[in-house]
Amino acid sequence: MKQCRALVRKLEEISPYFYYLTLEEPYLAQAAQPGQFLYLRVSTGLSPLLRRPFSVAGTSPAAGTVLLLFRRVGAGTDLLSCLQEGDRLDCLGPLGTPFTYYGSEPAVLLAGGVGVAPLLFLGESLLNGGKSVHLFYGAADATALLPVERFLSPGVLIHYITEDGSVGEQGKLPQAFQRALDRGLSPGELFACGPRPLLAVLARENGQWGYPLQVSLEENMACGVGACQGCSVLIQKDGETVYERVCREGPVFHSKEVVW
Amino acid sequence: MPSLKTRIASLALETPLLTASGTFGFGDEYASLMRLEGLGGLVVKTLTLKPRSGNPPPRLVETPAGMLNAIGLQNPGLKHFLKAELPHLQNRNIPLIISIAGDTEEEYVALAEALDRQTGIAALELNLSCPNVKKGGILFGTDVVILESLVSKVRSVWNKPLIAKLTPNVTAVADLARAAATGGADILSAINTLRGMVIDVATGRPLLGNRFGGLSGPAVRPVAVKMIYEIFEATKLPLIGMGGIMNTDDALQFIMAGATAVAVGTANFVEPQTIPQIAAGLNDYLEKAGLESLHELVGVAHD
Ligand SMILES: Cc1cc2nc3c(=O)[nH]c(=O)nc-3n(C[C@H](O)[C@H](O)[C@H](O)COP(=O)(O)OP(=O)(O)OC[C@H]3O[C@@H](n4cnc5c(N)ncnc54)[C@H](O)[C@@H]3O)c2cc1C
Ligand SMILES: Cc1cc2nc3c(=O)[nH]c(=O)nc-3n(C[C@H](O)[C@H](O)[C@H](O)COP(=O)(O)O)c2cc1C
Ligand code: FES
Repeated sequence: MKQCRALVRKLEEISPYFYYLTLEEPYLAQAAQPGQFLYLRVSTGLSPLLRRPFSVAGTSPAAGTVLLLFRRVGAGTDLLSCLQEGDRLDCLGPLGTPFTYYGSEPAVLLAGGVGVAPLLFLGESLLNGGKSVHLFYGAADATALLPVERFLSPGVLIHYITEDGSVGEQGKLPQAFQRALDRGLSPGELFACGPRPLLAVLARENGQWGYPLQVSLEENMACGVGACQGCSVLIQKDGETVYERVCREGPVFHSKEVVW
Repeated sequence: MPSLKTRIASLALETPLLTASGTFGFGDEYASLMRLEGLGGLVVKTLTLKPRSGNPPPRLVETPAGMLNAIGLQNPGLKHFLKAELPHLQNRNIPLIISIAGDTEEEYVALAEALDRQTGIAALELNLSCPNVKKGGILFGTDVVILESLVSKVRSVWNKPLIAKLTPNVTAVADLARAAATGGADILSAINTLRGMVIDVATGRPLLGNRFGGLSGPAVRPVAVKMIYEIFEATKLPLIGMGGIMNTDDALQFIMAGATAVAVGTANFVEPQTIPQIAAGLNDYLEKAGLESLHELVGVAHD
């Protein structure tokens, strides 16, 4: 982990709310692993004061670049959306504990909304390792759904799902995944990221499905490096309930260990 | 050649810049990110006798130019600290200040006794922003009688410098500063966080899991500077000032108000290089001002 001043290579506005940000920083491109995040200083003034965390959505070690994907929701992401090519961005990273892949195929990625970011990186890296990968990616409607196939090599089976049916299958992500299971999909391992209520539903349903499931959680952060205990979430381990830090032991946790 | 070397009570520090308790863990998290030179001393996360699991999340929320935290003193407890943390801290070659807290006087005293038997600890800081469970939960730091009694009991078992960290959540901080001095503190530090809360309007409920939290960061700085100014007039004890220090000028404000040393908390989260940067800035300031030492500036803001 290091503090770097990454070069803004490209900022693409996909819709008024979604952006792809390419940063050039060879160290990050080489060191980041799927599930890890960068902690960005979005302002040099006092507003917003604290850094903002963003999952690494992909890397290109050859080009020395990392890709972030963000949704504009407030002051910090507003500032990010105004970055110009050539700007420098102060980053701490890569931070956190990455996803662990145990080797069962196919790997099934379950993404809700902008939670797709770390799963794109995971999917791409599993595919490059010769693994079969499915991505179930759900959002409210077409405007909230990103055409993510450009970030994935051919081979990842992408299932788009929208609640209003404007793109892909109509419905909610857990139901769409259930229908795929009913059609005979037999996952090896599951990896999920998205809003906490969605993750909680997936964790509950997985009580029946019974697959190994890892989830990437979010919590407000201050230090981002494990020093302040501010991002702790309740975890159950060996019959004991303890607080673990999203920024250090997380953001990836085994779903059965999370106290939902 | 100006120098940042600082004497505070009997402590000799390379610089007057400390970490604020709770914002720097036990030091190792930041070791790979910052040059620890420039650090005058490491004040670790408040330690309690028994492990504490802390408050339910969310524990943090950003506020205008600041943040609220309700960590709930999560820490591994004395036994684990002595075994797993103290050895690597002793090897760091930076003055080590241990912050302690308890539910009762007896807990503070037991901690101080146990730590007094250890080597490599430069000073003890009493976190006084804790409820005294035997006195109906009134905070140790908010009642002159309770405060003086606690400080004098710890004083009788702790032989090195003793720092009393005052809470700003009182009507007359000067009275509490005097009580800590009478109890036998060598140094006073201030301020701890100011109590506050945020309501989540989407749910109509308090945003923090603990409902209330402690406000820190630049938003509190004017309050903190004034409290240091008042405490300086109330006692002769040397002071450690903190509360929203982000840069060299902020640190100078505290020194001019009467602090001999300063601590940096929230700013570490924003810029891990804050302490080394302020050290460089203070050096430049002394050079430009033609001063030998910051001691010449302590309290100059007073008439
Ligand atoms: C480990 C981790 C990885 C993340 N990865 C990504 C990512 O890849 N892409 C991305 O777009 N976002 C990601 N986030 C969320 C992102 O950090 C926040 O959206 C961002 O900090 C908001 O900052 P802001 O100043 O724009 O909004 P703020 O002003 O802080 O908040 C504005 C509004 O957005 C809501 N909001 C703030 N934070 C979150 C959050 N974490 N989740 C949902 N709503 C929130 C608030 O409730 C508020 O109503 C991640 C968070 C974590 C903890
Ligand atoms: C996340 C966080 C945790 C803290 N934990 C402690 C603590 O354990 N003990 C303590 O005495 N003060 C604690 N404090 C208070 C700080 O040490 C300091 O007094 C206060 O934050 C003001 O300084 P600042 O504005 O530079 O952060 C904590 C502050 C923060 C932000
Ligand atoms: S944000 Fe400080 S410990 Fe995670």
